[in-house]
Amino acid sequence: MVASDLVFQSLLNGILLGGIYAVAALGLSLVFGIMDIVNLAHGHMLMVGAYVAILLFGVLGVTPIIGMVVAFLVLFVLGMALQRFLLERVVGEGLEQPIIVLFGLALMLQSIGRILVGSESQATEIGIPGEAIAVGTATLSFPRVVTFVISVVLILGTWAFLKYTTTGLAIRATAQNSSAAQYMGIDTDNIYVITLGLGTGLAGAAGALLSMLFPIDPFVGWSYLLKAFAVVVLGGVGSVAGTLVGGLILGVSENVGVLYLGGGFRDIISFTIFLLVLLVRPHGLFGSSGGGE
Amino acid sequence: MVDSDVPQSRRRYLKTLGAVGAVGTSGLAGCTLIGGSGGGEGTVTIAATVPETGQFSSLGNAVKQGYELGVQTMNEELDQDVELIMQDDESDAEVVRQNLNQITSDNQVDMIWGSFSSLLVTAGSAFAENQGLPFIGAFFAFEGPHRNEGYEWTYSPFPKSRDVARSTRGLLELIPEEERPTNVGLWEPNSGWGNEQAQYWEDTLSSAGYDVVMRETFSLGSQDFSSLISQSESANVEVLLSTPTPPGGITAINQMQSNNWSPDIVKFVRAADPTAWWSALGEKGAYACMCPGWVPGLTGGGNDTLRTMYEEEYGLEEGQLIRSPVGGAYNVAQTAMQALQGADSTDPGDVQSALRSEEFETVIGTFSFEDNGLPAEGELTAPTGQWWEGNQHTVYPDVDGPGAIDFQYPIPDWSER
Repeated sequence: MVASDLVFQSLLNGILLGGIYAVAALGLSLVFGIMDIVNLAHGHMLMVGAYVAILLFGVLGVTPIIGMVVAFLVLFVLGMALQRFLLERVVGEGLEQPIIVLFGLALMLQSIGRILVGSESQATEIGIPGEAIAVGTATLSFPRVVTFVISVVLILGTWAFLKYTTTGLAIRATAQNSSAAQYMGIDTDNIYVITLGLGTGLAGAAGALLSMLFPIDPFVGWSYLLKAFAVVVLGGVGSVAGTLVGGLILGVSENVGVLYLGGGFRDIISFTIFLLVLLVRPHGLFGSSGGGE
Repeated sequence: MVDSDVPQSRRRYLKTLGAVGAVGTSGLAGCTLIGGSGGGEGTVTIAATVPETGQFSSLGNAVKQGYELGVQTMNEELDQDVELIMQDDESDAEVVRQNLNQITSDNQVDMIWGSFSSLLVTAGSAFAENQGLPFIGAFFAFEGPHRNEGYEWTYSPFPKSRDVARSTRGLLELIPEEERPTNVGLWEPNSGWGNEQAQYWEDTLSSAGYDVVMRETFSLGSQDFSSLISQSESANVEVLLSTPTPPGGITAINQMQSNNWSPDIVKFVRAADPTAWWSALGEKGAYACMCPGWVPGLTGGGNDTLRTMYEEEYGLEEGQLIRSPVGGAYNVAQTAMQALQGADSTDPGDVQSALRSEEFETVIGTFSFEDNGLPAEGELTAPTGQWWEGNQHTVYPDVDGPGAIDFQYPIPDWSER
């Protein structure tokens, strides 16, 4: 029988981890929900963001939080350029065209990463110094608490942006009905450019956060893409709140599940949940067939 | 542990006698003769791959140095030239096979040397078994393939899982009995070797009176050790033993610090082998133990020669010690050299017979092989090293060579480090 204090500890660890999963999935969910594009390069953009933060920290001594902001901006610009100069040209050519382009981009980013930094994991900690925090019988890692808080702020910020700004309103309108949005004077091409920029920018920020906790190598993109997919399916495509809840469910299930089943079952647990949700509630916990927030 | 660098004259005498006999037989067979028997023609060609890039690249360069110094020694000791054809295997088993295929297609290869880690060494070994070529590989503790794959050509002069467990028990016994920790925690990677090593640890330490209070599996490549850390703390683990990859081990230590937990003793076999350990962790990496096959501090068996050659060839800065994979790789070359001398031929069958029958004296002690290529149980030295002030030092066995130190125990709390 597993001790209750151990379950409590794992529950808290799972919540902290779930926040990171949520922010890693947020950009994927937005792009999927609003543009109907499965960004297969999302994980690799996350990897690029991580390396931006690692580079800034290692070479210039820039704090990880500032590194995260820079990573967001770099990937935001990269995402906008991607939409403007590449994806825009293949939209309307069929569903598979953007997927092929993004799959190629993922492979390209992975190869460039391998050439520039090698295949070895960057396990050097760039985390935030600080003492562990005691919560009852549990101990929480300070860097994880900080990254969790930042993750929640990012998620709430994204929600507020979509909810309360004119651009956010235009994005939601475009997601609901792009033709109607065009008739109402919204430049949907620009909206798509901003949306992909936002989605990839969030991937960059998530990568910078992950680099504070976990080793990064040019191949991590695929594993985070799969986790992000699981979170999106759990929470519902395009739902900001659903992404947060999906991330938390995944993090908690993994951490508590391994107590009973063993660490080798971590990925099995997450993908079993993923498949079950697909079967029982394909549009996710918070999603709807219409998409959008 | 071996205690002398002086060659064994009796054995050399017997080998010379044997070589005289071999001149006739192998001459008829057209084989190349080796050793001090009058000399033969040609070159001994050895194929090898090392991980210069990829997940094991932080060790690849040290392995390469050890092989190169070993070939230098072979060229001095043998009458024939030794050529080592070495390529980067990118830490990828498929690349190991491709490289060896290419080298053996383009050259008359007499022997193959292994790479690093069970993953890559077994790939090279499988190739050598198919080709019927002698294969000598270190950095490969997994015993399973030796027992299950029907090895005929693979020989591993390296501490195996049972030796690692023996070394761990010896390490713990350095601590006075009244202070000795008893609670052992095992973090078991879900791999064949991970399971085998954990089982040896459990059996060996349980029978010696230790309590294995935790044994939990994790996925090799996992980046989140928070559950294992919580479980270890809850089980009051005092001695933590595991076999993670180098990035995994480094991440685990970082997460132990951020969770404010550490045991009294940490032994991360293979994870703490590379210099990347200290580069990534600095003082946080101190106290970590490993069982890398060779550690600076061992004496005899050519250790003095190795040290001198290394300093001449690569130089050592003030306070810097030779990296452990150098010695492990040099030991491969010493084994190969003595096998060739024992065989007095490069004929694969003769070398195989020598590997099965000879006794070898290298920087990791004196040992022989079982027919399945395992080092005979309990013979070679399985030193435990410990990171201290930026270097790996021998802490077990209790030797007095340059680089040996007293076992640093217990690991203080993070707040006191």
